[in-house]
Amino acid sequence: MTAHERDLMERYLYQVTRRLPRGQREEVRRELEELITDMAEAKGSIEAALTELGDPAEMARRYAGAQRCLISAEYYDSYVWLMRIVLVCSIIPVFAVSLWTGVIAAVPAQTNIVGMTVIGMSAGLTNAFVSAAQAGLSAFGAVTLVFAVIERQKVKLDLEKEKKWSVGELERESRAARPRWTPAFLSPVPDKRAVISRADSAVGVVFIVLFCALLLFSPQFFAAIVAQDDGVAFIPLFNLAQWNVILPVFALSMLLSLADEIVRLVAGYYCKIVMASSIVCNLSVIVLSAVLLKAMPLWNPNFSLQLELALDENLTGAGGLLLHWDAGAVSNAILALIVLIAALETGVTIYKTLRYGADKT
Amino acid sequence: MGEEKDPLSALVLELRRGTLVLSVLSRLAAPKYGYALVQDLEEHGVPIDANTLYPLLRRLEGQGLLESRWETDGPKPRKYYCRTSFGTEIYGALRRQWAELSAGMQQLLKEEES
Repeated sequence: MTAHERDLMERYLYQVTRRLPRGQREEVRRELEELITDMAEAKGSIEAALTELGDPAEMARRYAGAQRCLISAEYYDSYVWLMRIVLVCSIIPVFAVSLWTGVIAAVPAQTNIVGMTVIGMSAGLTNAFVSAAQAGLSAFGAVTLVFAVIERQKVKLDLEKEKKWSVGELERESRAARPRWTPAFLSPVPDKRAVISRADSAVGVVFIVLFCALLLFSPQFFAAIVAQDDGVAFIPLFNLAQWNVILPVFALSMLLSLADEIVRLVAGYYCKIVMASSIVCNLSVIVLSAVLLKAMPLWNPNFSLQLELALDENLTGAGGLLLHWDAGAVSNAILALIVLIAALETGVTIYKTLRYGADKT
Repeated sequence: MGEEKDPLSALVLELRRGTLVLSVLSRLAAPKYGYALVQDLEEHGVPIDANTLYPLLRRLEGQGLLESRWETDGPKPRKYYCRTSFGTEIYGALRRQWAELSAGMQQLLKEEES
């Protein structure tokens, strides 16, 4: 074998093995090296052997076997349906709010009406497009992530089942004794009252995504807006200085809520998996909310002070009410509301699963 | 994938795909290395592409139908594959299936001819 031929073979082996799981690479490499040299002897040259073997990517695909997709046909329908809702609910509101905040922020610096219009619109549009693109990408990523995890978990379950089956087959002598599918294996059609409608899931998803998108991309949107002589003042409700600490906790709890909704959507009816997911997700959300509201510096500590300063000249009725802002009380009220909603949802899920759930035994 | 080719060759490919495991198992009562198997099958008029055979051998090994070992005594290391007892059992069952199927097919095609 010439140096050129060895180089060609090495390239081919590299192109195949780099596409395989690490654990298989060395073994496949050795066996392909044996094959290629054998073929080269029979065909006359390494080139002829490699030409016959064909595209290394195709070769690697054959070694890898099936399961080369992120989201399989079984879930694809739900995935696309949910993706549409999530994209619409994240991109449109973020676009609108970013446009508005962009315009408001840019306008006061301008004195004439033309400057106001041109600068305001261009600043607003830039802000809107950038934020909407980020929101869309994040939403896409979050939905895909959750579905990919569900897909993998299901795949793991399937593989375990398969393993058990083949071990069982090895132990059994007679083939007739193998567990065969019979109509008795068919799970009953779920009770109508156990069916989770897509519309219900959609409502949940819309709320989660709307809230999440706004908090992620326009936390400054949650602010008291006070008119002043030289424009408007935004007094943020949240502690934006600490936002990079708060945001991950917040995003995690939103992702959990979204995952729960997706599990419901994929299952399609109340069953033990939905019940378990509801209990786990809602408990986690309560814990995360408690951390967020009670332990983390969520609220703008200077809210009252800034508001007082801004309102100095024009103290109106509504503004006066805001001056009684008490972060501790608001935290408690929100936490109580979250606990109430989570408990209600989990309660309904448990009740419906136990009462009508299709796989109750 | 042969789907882009003309319909006939795609159909022939599909027809052959089902017989691959049976033909491979039939030749592995005694240990053989991969390329010897390729040549052997080709001589018997049942050609199989090497890029189909090698992944298939690994899969059958994973399913417990074949076992392999590396032979390092010769001029170069070779991987020999051989049927396991489970593989022999499966082979016997597949063979019976094949006999039934091909007899049935013969009958079908003969009737159609006359």
